[in-house]
Amino acid sequence: MSPGPLARPLALAGKELKLFFRDHQALLFSLALPLVLVFLMVGTFGGQAAFHATAYFVNLDSGPAGAELARRLDALPEITVKVLEAQDAERRLAASDVVNVIVVGEGFSEDLAAGRTPPVTVRQRGNGGTEGQIVNSYAAAVIREMMGERQVARRVADVLAGAGLPAPPGEIETRVAALFNEARAHPPVHVVEEAVGARSEPVAIFLPGLVTMFTLFAISLGAAVLVEERKKGTLERLMATGLSRGELLAGTWLGTFGRGLFQVAFLFALAWAGFRIFTPATFGSVLAFGVVAVAAVSAVSLVIASLARTADQAIWIAVFTTMVMSVLGGSFFDSSALKGPAAVLARLTYNHWANDGLRRIITRGEPLASPGVLTDILVLGGIALVSAAVAAAVFRVRGDEK
Amino acid sequence: MADAEFVVVRDLRKVFNGHTAVDGVSFTIERGEIFGLLGPNGAGKTTTIRMMSTTLPISAGDVTVAGHSVRRKPAAVRRHIGVCPQELALYLELTALDNLVFFGRMRGLSRREAAAQAMENLELVGLTDRARQPVAKFSGGMKRRVNLAIALMNRPELLFLDEPTVGVDPQSRNHIFDTIEGLRDGGMTVLYTTHYMEEADRLCRRIAIMDGGRVIALDTPHNLKARYGDPERVTLEDVFLRLTGRRLRDAG
Ligand SMILES: Nc1ncnc2c1ncn2[C@@H]1O[C@H](COP(=O)(O)OP(=O)(O)O)[C@@H](O)[C@H]1O
Ligand SMILES: [Mg+2]
Repeated sequence: MSPGPLARPLALAGKELKLFFRDHQALLFSLALPLVLVFLMVGTFGGQAAFHATAYFVNLDSGPAGAELARRLDALPEITVKVLEAQDAERRLAASDVVNVIVVGEGFSEDLAAGRTPPVTVRQRGNGGTEGQIVNSYAAAVIREMMGERQVARRVADVLAGAGLPAPPGEIETRVAALFNEARAHPPVHVVEEAVGARSEPVAIFLPGLVTMFTLFAISLGAAVLVEERKKGTLERLMATGLSRGELLAGTWLGTFGRGLFQVAFLFALAWAGFRIFTPATFGSVLAFGVVAVAAVSAVSLVIASLARTADQAIWIAVFTTMVMSVLGGSFFDSSALKGPAAVLARLTYNHWANDGLRRIITRGEPLASPGVLTDILVLGGIALVSAAVAAAVFRVRGDEK
Repeated sequence: MADAEFVVVRDLRKVFNGHTAVDGVSFTIERGEIFGLLGPNGAGKTTTIRMMSTTLPISAGDVTVAGHSVRRKPAAVRRHIGVCPQELALYLELTALDNLVFFGRMRGLSRREAAAQAMENLELVGLTDRARQPVAKFSGGMKRRVNLAIALMNRPELLFLDEPTVGVDPQSRNHIFDTIEGLRDGGMTVLYTTHYMEEADRLCRRIAIMDGGRVIALDTPHNLKARYGDPERVTLEDVFLRLTGRRLRDAG
């Protein structure tokens, strides 16, 4: 009649997940929190690591080329052009409102057409800042390109004239420009940027701590499960069905684990969508590591659930445990940098090992099978097993008997 | 084991921190009867049921169900019994069906068996059309009917009903009575506790009147009333008053 030894724990866990998904407040919280965190990170660090800057631009050119330069610069994905009046630009430079302005001189079109170096001045405070210097080099590149096009057009005109084949005015320039446009649209070399190994973006540095903190919520969420069951009277009812203590604890652990994993996977997926910091392979690695970390933290939660006799006790023990582990083991600081007794204490916490592994995988790009990550996985697995054993030892079904 | 001794309670005792809640209770229940435990609040009815149904350790004495000792073979006893506790013991956020299927699976039924049994039980308590609604949305009486339906998930031979009608509207109360009588007619044995004497009078073949942790009288309702006059005119309330000097409703 009994459909397998895991049937009852699985049904218990399924019931916990159903309760979780029915509890819209809890669900909203556990989904909204990662959303808020990721949005905060996007706001703070920017969604993409790519460079972007504004080029302040004063156009004194009497011909059309100055405007063309502004247009071409603006067309670059890295640059947004903001055209200013000369006086306005000076005022804003004086006020340090802007630190770098590109000024195109009056004879720009004329000099460009004649093959002379055109008059372009960069007005800047100090060295114009890193961003200003990058903007300047983009501008210089576009100007060189424009000069090159004019030069090619002039050569072609000279050759045709030498061969006695005069072309209609403007024809050569139009055709040359078309050729250059085509070349730009189909560059011979296409550069794709890919992150390799250690990553320095703030996201990659903060995410491990964030995930560790987040998994710690599983402690509080799971800590009150058995107390709730007791309060509802369902614990006694469950035990009267013939459910064993082991099955009850396994099912409770599995429920907390399932909920925690759902939340962590959601956070990883959001971080991926928001920052593209994973590849499918590294996503698989962090997820696999997440499974082990959540397993460990759910077992810690089970110990508290087994000890607590009231909801208040459960909450306070959970909060206390979470805080002590955060202080000793670190979440936002790297506890592997600690020395002496502090380093020893840190190694006693879940945080230390979860953080270390996530940092290795996310920040340093280490594979799952590297010795460092494997050590973390083994220790977390050990924490899960020891905690489960402790929970089984301390749990008493009958809380009403002193 | 004879059907007359389907359930045997022998000198059952429970002491909570020096306070004796159940003080040497003995009775037997015949297979197929509705047996009543009638008594005021605090008489020890729930404590007796919790010991009989294996969830509370017994201080002294023993109970056998179908020949199995609660103290020595609690797992065997659990297979024979269903318990409908005094307080609702279910998940309000889940639907009626989910609650029943879950407890069915805890009883070792497969998902499919549990679903079939759940629909059968919901039909029995008249909640088929509310099967997929969260129990939180139900009236007090409907919640109690779900509580009862859960106790029937393993088709028990012996059903413990601990004050199943407290806080229940008349319609649900009648539905519960009909259900219990139907179960009895189907051969189920029922231990029914209540502090409402009319209920015990209507439903039970035999009644043990409890007070202060002891059984102070045990007989059919008719015989109990006949002790003090014309059974057509005497009520169980009168019986309790004569036995204890207190009124059932005021006691406790
Ligand atoms: N878990 C417990 N701990 C201590 N005393 C209890 C406990 N449960 C019941 N009692 C006491 O035992 C007595 C009988 O209670 P109970 O069996 O609930 O009575 P009834 O069900 O007849 O109303 C009461 O005095 C009650 O206060
Ligand atoms: Mg009671």
